[in-house]
Amino acid sequence: MKFRKIINPRPLWAATVAACALLMSAGRGVGETTTEGLPFPIIERFENFGHDQGIPAHKVHVVLKTSDSKLWIGTWDGLCVREENGKFKRYGPEDGLTHKMVLCMVEDPKTGDLWIGTMRGLNKFSGGKITRYVQTDSGLPNNVVYGVDVADDKLWVATAAGAGVMDLKTGAWKIYDHTNSNMHEPWCYSIKGAKDVVFIGVWGGGILEHNPQLGTFKAYHDPDGDFHYDLVPDDGPINDITSWIAWKDGVLWQNTYFGMSRYDGKYWKTWVQDKSPLPSNFTQFAWPVGKYCWIGTDRSATVTDGTYWANYMLGDKGESILEIHRPKQAAEKRILPTGICNAFVLGIWADENEAWFATANGLSHGIFSPRPSVPKVAAAK
Amino acid sequence: MKRLTFLCQSRLFFGLLTGVILPMPSWAEKAAEEKVAAQPSIAKAATTNAEPATCGLPAGQYPYYANTPEEMVPFRTLEPYYRYFTTRLPFRGPGRDYPDPPDLKSLKVGLFGPAPYGPEGARGKQTRLGVLLAFEEENASRRAGQLPFEIVEREDSPLWGSAANIAVDFKDADVLGYLGTIDGDATHVALRVTLKTETYIINTSDPDPTLMETQIPWISRVFPDDRQQCYRLADLIINRRGCKRVAILRESSRPGRVGVMHLVNDIRRLGKPAVAHLLYKPGDRSLAEQLNTIKGANPDALVFYGQPEDIGFAAALFRKSGITAQFFGFDRLKEDGFSKNAGEAAEGTTICYFFNPDRTDKPWVEFQDRFQKRWSEKAGIYAAYGYDGAKLMIEAINKSGPNRYRVRDYLANLDEWDGITGHMIFDGRNDNIAPMSMAQFKQGKWQFQPVPAITRLEKLRAAQP
Repeated sequence: MKFRKIINPRPLWAATVAACALLMSAGRGVGETTTEGLPFPIIERFENFGHDQGIPAHKVHVVLKTSDSKLWIGTWDGLCVREENGKFKRYGPEDGLTHKMVLCMVEDPKTGDLWIGTMRGLNKFSGGKITRYVQTDSGLPNNVVYGVDVADDKLWVATAAGAGVMDLKTGAWKIYDHTNSNMHEPWCYSIKGAKDVVFIGVWGGGILEHNPQLGTFKAYHDPDGDFHYDLVPDDGPINDITSWIAWKDGVLWQNTYFGMSRYDGKYWKTWVQDKSPLPSNFTQFAWPVGKYCWIGTDRSATVTDGTYWANYMLGDKGESILEIHRPKQAAEKRILPTGICNAFVLGIWADENEAWFATANGLSHGIFSPRPSVPKVAAAK
Repeated sequence: MKRLTFLCQSRLFFGLLTGVILPMPSWAEKAAEEKVAAQPSIAKAATTNAEPATCGLPAGQYPYYANTPEEMVPFRTLEPYYRYFTTRLPFRGPGRDYPDPPDLKSLKVGLFGPAPYGPEGARGKQTRLGVLLAFEEENASRRAGQLPFEIVEREDSPLWGSAANIAVDFKDADVLGYLGTIDGDATHVALRVTLKTETYIINTSDPDPTLMETQIPWISRVFPDDRQQCYRLADLIINRRGCKRVAILRESSRPGRVGVMHLVNDIRRLGKPAVAHLLYKPGDRSLAEQLNTIKGANPDALVFYGQPEDIGFAAALFRKSGITAQFFGFDRLKEDGFSKNAGEAAEGTTICYFFNPDRTDKPWVEFQDRFQKRWSEKAGIYAAYGYDGAKLMIEAINKSGPNRYRVRDYLANLDEWDGITGHMIFDGRNDNIAPMSMAQFKQGKWQFQPVPAITRLEKLRAAQP
């Protein structure tokens, strides 16, 4: 791994302090770190994909690697799957897709079916066949489908006119809106199944936690109750205008255009630009992996566990910048050999081995740097 | 705030905090670097794209959020952790260098109107006529070789979310931008779609204060909103008329809720919280409970928000039942439905209004004449702002070419603009914060006061070196 360090004049003692801080950080031993003492992997270079590989549009809204290792992307101009020759095959309205602009995707973990939300309806891709669902011939609340998820044999959708759920066994639909839930307005932009509950990201309505068994709704709101300031940090969702939510292992992540938030079931933590390493308040997407989370903003792909941060950005001349932020240390900046194709990041898929980024100007593949071997004794501790 | 920022960026501060002099935290260092680095680029964007005036303040700085009067600024005695809207939100995505669409036959602009049969139908019709007049005039003056403008019209329906489908229609029609609409719900829904479709909206008629607070960098509003009316009314009622017991009666709807939202806060900040805040269903004529509660609160000022016919009925009922409080309201009470239903109870009612529609300056009079000649009816306020919104969209497309991203940059960098409705000043959210007038109903006529100065901005300007 060869990086050119452009700003890193920190003294040796600072590194020592950092190492001590790392060792003392709650619940984290050296053995649990991945790369360079960080709790998440580091990307050493990017591979980029665009028109030359058959991607039909600049804008890629969503990327998903399915359980059969196929790579799917939803673009401004159709749904695409990466074929063995590395080229992307496109599916559009002429193939049955309800609209060419694909906004979201999820795989049914039981069947492998792919559910695709577009600007004009929902689609199921199963066995090479597309089945369409629109608001006039199904229980879909609205044709603009911003979010989709599958949990416990139920398909959940977040639409411009409410949240909907379809029982995948019976095909029966139910709609949740301002008439039967505590939404101010039924403008839903994200939905995520969690353990026993479903979280709904609502525009202007914060986050709703719905328990389908009990039929209950619990709302999480920004306690400040106003948009043009955040009175105190860490007091709840950073803002009620939720642009995206994600949930993993008991931790809820909220994106807004006012910063981002995390809720671990007990405490809220909020981040805004200029007062944290978050590069921009305009956060668009979250993809948690274990206890850390990949974030798509309008100027970076970011990964954080809330304490350590890595921001992948582009400089004025297009150079690929990696900023690593460690507690109580100056930011470490590096130039990577290749950069993300665009820093306006709309969608992410990642696991412990790789990361894919849907951006406003193509698709990027983040190649992780090799991780140090984990000392068994330290890991046991 | 400056003091706090300085402290946060100070190594000494962190040294004291931690007991050891550590390097400046990375985020603070980055913020300091970017603060310096950002200014030239903002200034460049503001001058090269839009050629705007800069409101007399440093380019890119908008510390006069909503032109809120100082005494009505929330938490004015302490500094919140974070303030938004003091700079313009950039759009950092690509698109400005995309090639122009090939084989263009026209320059398409969307017009999103309310349902013609709904409560906003008549106002929407006026907006439509104003917009069409602007495009007709522009097309008539196009030179040879210039593409004509084409209007793609869509009407809203009462179904929640229909606006989302309409915004997708506009995307599919490849419009370069669109105008509309009145209804706050519909405009909100369309705006969220617009973030995905990347098509700029100029709103000409939605008074919802929250519309522009969503941090979506794809909208400007030329229509002064209910927030501006709340400031003016609060100042008039508490400071100038000296009222001490303010009651509010407003319709039970989203426009009603967000319409008076700021008035409730403003009068509280002026030390006179509302003594009663009652709701009614639009169209309801059974107001006995509201009447009894308000009467029991013994108000000296009663502020109404709702459709003019409903408020006219309520005003007549309340006055007849012995309530002597001064009546106040929002712009819509100027429509005939109010005075007709209120009868004698309308006398003395004071409302906030955009400007004096009987003014005699040349641009306004000539617009009235052209409108009357073309449509055989008088141009109302919705026609006027529709016309201005259309003219602004035309200007943006003429200067930027058929590229949605450059059209966005032109409009989103605009600080001031002159329309037939008057001089507009856009704040950090691209919202027109031009001060509004007041009018009082006396002897069967609305009598208008002059439009005041934009005080907070003027003060900031004066403080500039």
